[in-house]
Amino acid sequence: MSRLRLPVTVVLIRDTFHEAIVRWVFWGTFALCTALILFFLFLLRIDVVEGAKATISLFGQKESKAMDVAKLVRQIHSAVAAFLYMMGMFLAVFASATLMPAALERGRVELLLSKPLRRWHILLARYSANLLLVMLNIGYLILGVWAVFGWKTGVWHASFLYAIPATAFMFAVLLAVVTLVAVFSESAALATMITFAMMVMSPILAQHKLMAKLLSSEWTRQVWRGFYHALPKFFDVGGINMDLVMGRAVSNWAPVWTSTAFGLVVLSAALFLFQKRDY
Amino acid sequence: MSETAAVETHDLTKVYRTLLRRRDVRAVEGVSLRVEAGSTFGLLGPNGAGKTTFVKMLLSAVRPTAGFARIFGVDCRRSQARRPVGYLPENHRLPGYMTGRGMLDYYAALSGMGARARRRRAAELLALVGLEKWGSTRLSRYSKGMLQRLGLAQAMMHSPRLLVLDEPSDGVDPVGRRQIREILRELEERGVTVFINSHLLAEVELFCREVAILHRGRVALVGKVKELTAGKGYRLVAAGVPERLEAELRARVAAAARRDGLLELQFPSREEANQALDLLRREGCEIESLTPTTSTLEDVFMRTVNV
Repeated sequence: MSRLRLPVTVVLIRDTFHEAIVRWVFWGTFALCTALILFFLFLLRIDVVEGAKATISLFGQKESKAMDVAKLVRQIHSAVAAFLYMMGMFLAVFASATLMPAALERGRVELLLSKPLRRWHILLARYSANLLLVMLNIGYLILGVWAVFGWKTGVWHASFLYAIPATAFMFAVLLAVVTLVAVFSESAALATMITFAMMVMSPILAQHKLMAKLLSSEWTRQVWRGFYHALPKFFDVGGINMDLVMGRAVSNWAPVWTSTAFGLVVLSAALFLFQKRDY
Repeated sequence: MSETAAVETHDLTKVYRTLLRRRDVRAVEGVSLRVEAGSTFGLLGPNGAGKTTFVKMLLSAVRPTAGFARIFGVDCRRSQARRPVGYLPENHRLPGYMTGRGMLDYYAALSGMGARARRRRAAELLALVGLEKWGSTRLSRYSKGMLQRLGLAQAMMHSPRLLVLDEPSDGVDPVGRRQIREILRELEERGVTVFINSHLLAEVELFCREVAILHRGRVALVGKVKELTAGKGYRLVAAGVPERLEAELRARVAAAARRDGLLELQFPSREEANQALDLLRREGCEIESLTPTTSTLEDVFMRTVNV
């Protein structure tokens, strides 16, 4: 069995990639990343003045004020990282929400289950393939933008590359939610809705200190705090992502640990449920 | 009787529990069956009898509530038990984005076959099921009958010792059905155990040596087809029947099959058997035998499920 495991994992991952390519999920995200890289490559022009100052022009419209090059690049890096973290995450979740339940639909999952594979192996391979797919796109975009700016300005802020693990980490947590909902309901729509709801709720729940003052009773404050601590901290991890990209020290890593715990619990629940389900 | 059965179940039970347990559904109840290695076994039953649930329990797609099932002596809950099994599910959804060859390759790889063996076997099987020209076409363009034949090829890819087919003739035209039957007959000759779950009684009667009838989740009847059908009707066996006449006769009979060059025809009445006999004589065919049968499998089935 152990001799068989590695190739079978590769076969399952390859199939997810194949499906993503044929369903245009991969090409769609790849095209968006490429468009963004090309935008910075051709349309945004940065003229470096005396090695330290720069003027910036977009579609030929020049920003007259000369700026510090390193600061300018860092600002653009952070804007790209924020855009990727917010918009890219929505797109990635949307794409994964179609890929994840597809393998579990009736008539298809029975065939998979009839093979000499363990159930957790099938689900984890699918999860890993989805994660790998998104990581490749994130890596492509971040490295592409980093290379374009490095080449144009000579400024190579390595801290920008932190956006790759930070964004991939949060996606891994949200993908666990997609996986659990997919196993439970086999519905791409429900998986998308629940995951998006968590993303949207996160900045609201993050205001727990303010809400503690506004809420009238102690139990409602406890409920609010309970939700904040239990659910993934999309908003807070986004803040950590920005700190890392901007080269600032991270003051509180707790959102990472609690989100990791949430992701592990949810993924374990998905594996447990998949193990027990009848198809 | 060999020591290790291909399939062995003991008191296999499945209860689908609903929320609050107000309306539990007992899909399969205390089913004990033994399918000998190398036999052809048909599982029959009306809709909702629990046939598909039973098959899915064998393959661990459904977890038994009680009892156990073994495949070649291995507990069916272990992944190893599924290694010698080829499965064609009912209402399967083969991934439409794959090509015929790609699909065969994918599922065979999951069964642990090596790349070179997969390539060779896929070409062989595509030819066997008459889809050699469709190997590079995406499955989304296949007809239902083609998908069914490809599904059968998928089940056979890793040369399984046990073939479990859930409604294998579903959506297949008469020519395709005959082709499937001939393929299965060949597998039987090679010692492969074939387990068919079907509601097409005539098909099962023609192909399977043994049957079990499930009714309301329980085994209502189990036995050898020959013994169960030794009743009303006529079985005519002839040799040297030309294709044109065979097609004509097949349209008139309750069931027909070709075994070892002989054509077996099952007639519900003496008049129809006599008419066929005249036709065969006129064409100069040799009559091997004409035997009265007490009943067809359909009669047995109807009596068993009290319809």
